[in-house]
Amino acid sequence: MKSVPVKVEHEGKWVPTTMGIAEDRFRIDAPLNQEIPYRSVVDLEEKKNQVIVTAGAGGEAVYRIASVEKVLQVLKKFIITQASAYRLNAFFMSPAIRGGVLVQNAQWEKGAIAVMKTGIWFVSQEKQVCIPLDEVTGIELTSREIQEKNLDVVKIDHLIENELVTSFVLCPLTTLQVLYNFLKEATHDTEVREEIDPLAGQVAMLVYSGMDSSAIENMLKLSHKDLDAIYEKLLGLGLAEVLYVRKEVQLTPKGVRYISESVKSPMN
Amino acid sequence: MGRILIVDDTMFMRTLLKNILFSGGHDIVGEAADGAEALAKYQELKPDLVTMDVVMPKMNGIEALKAIKAADPAAKVIMCTAVGQEQMVKLAVKSGARGYIVKPFQAPKVLEEVKNVLSA
Repeated sequence: MKSVPVKVEHEGKWVPTTMGIAEDRFRIDAPLNQEIPYRSVVDLEEKKNQVIVTAGAGGEAVYRIASVEKVLQVLKKFIITQASAYRLNAFFMSPAIRGGVLVQNAQWEKGAIAVMKTGIWFVSQEKQVCIPLDEVTGIELTSREIQEKNLDVVKIDHLIENELVTSFVLCPLTTLQVLYNFLKEATHDTEVREEIDPLAGQVAMLVYSGMDSSAIENMLKLSHKDLDAIYEKLLGLGLAEVLYVRKEVQLTPKGVRYISESVKSPMN
Repeated sequence: MGRILIVDDTMFMRTLLKNILFSGGHDIVGEAADGAEALAKYQELKPDLVTMDVVMPKMNGIEALKAIKAADPAAKVIMCTAVGQEQMVKLAVKSGARGYIVKPFQAPKVLEEVKNVLSA
C-alpha cells in the first residue's frame, strides 16, 4: 500500500499524517490508525482541498482528509466505484450550461454515477463531479438530440458557488426513471409550492442576475420600502437569504459641520 | 466594447439585459420587441452584436436571425431563450448564431459570452 502525506481532522485539529491507498481499502496512520474498506463507505462529500468520508452502516465514522488534488482524486475514484451506494453506468455531461451560458466544450462522458447520502457523484476516466443534493434546484425528465436521435435524459439544475449549472445524465430509460424518482424524493424539501406574485418573481430574477438593491429599485421603479417588503416575502418563503444588512444613515450636526468645513479648504 | 441591439418581447428582459450590458461598458444602440422590428432596427443601426430572444410574436428569433444573416452574413447574433428550450441551439447555430444564453442568466456569464463573440 503506497503511503502519501495528508492532513486529517483529529479532536477538532488538523493533524499531519500519512495515508495508504490500496485497491479495496485505505489506511490512515497515527493518530487515527484506521483501515477503512471502500465498501463500508456510505457517503463522500467534497470541500475545497478536502474530502469527508463517512463509513459504517450507521455512518458512525467520519473522516476529514485534506491533501493535494491528485491524491484526493485517486481516493475519490476508489470510493465512488466501490462504496455502498446505488451505482449505474451512464453517460453524463456536466456542466452543460453555466450561469445561463452554454459550455462550449461540453461533451458526453462515459462513466458511472453513484448516488450517495448527500450527493450524486459522476465519475469518468477524466472527471469526478459531485452534485450535493442540497444544491439541486431542479430535476426534469426530458429529451435531447444526441447524434441525430431524440433520447431521454435527466436534466439536473444545481448550484456551484452560487452559479446555476445544468448537467445531463443519459442511460436506459428504466434506470433513468429510477434516478429521476430518487432525485425528486431527495430534493422534495426545496420544491416551491407557494404562489409568488409577478413583481416578487421579477425581483427574484434580478437578484439572481446579479443586480444590487439600487439597480432593482431603478429598474422596477420601486421605493426602498417596497423593495424591502418584497425581500421580506422572499426571505419568509425561504427563497432568499440575507447577504448583508445595508445601513441607511443621515448626517448628525457634527457630520454636517465636517462636510461644511471640508469645502472651505484653501483650494475652494 | 460593442454597440448592441437587444431583441426581446418583454420589457423586463430588455431592461435586465440593458443593465447588464451597460455595466459591462457596452452601448445599447436600440431595442426591438419582435423579429420584424429587429430586422428593421438591424438594417438601420448596424450594431456590432444582437442579443435575440427565440420565442417572440410576429417573427420569432430564429426567423429573424436567418433574415439578419441573409442581409449581413457577418452579423453577430447571440440567441437568448428560456431554460428547457436548449433544443433550439442546434437550429440557431445552423442558422448562424454565434452564441447562446439561457434564462435565467447571471451578469458575469452574459458579459463573458458577449466579449467572446465580439472578439471572435
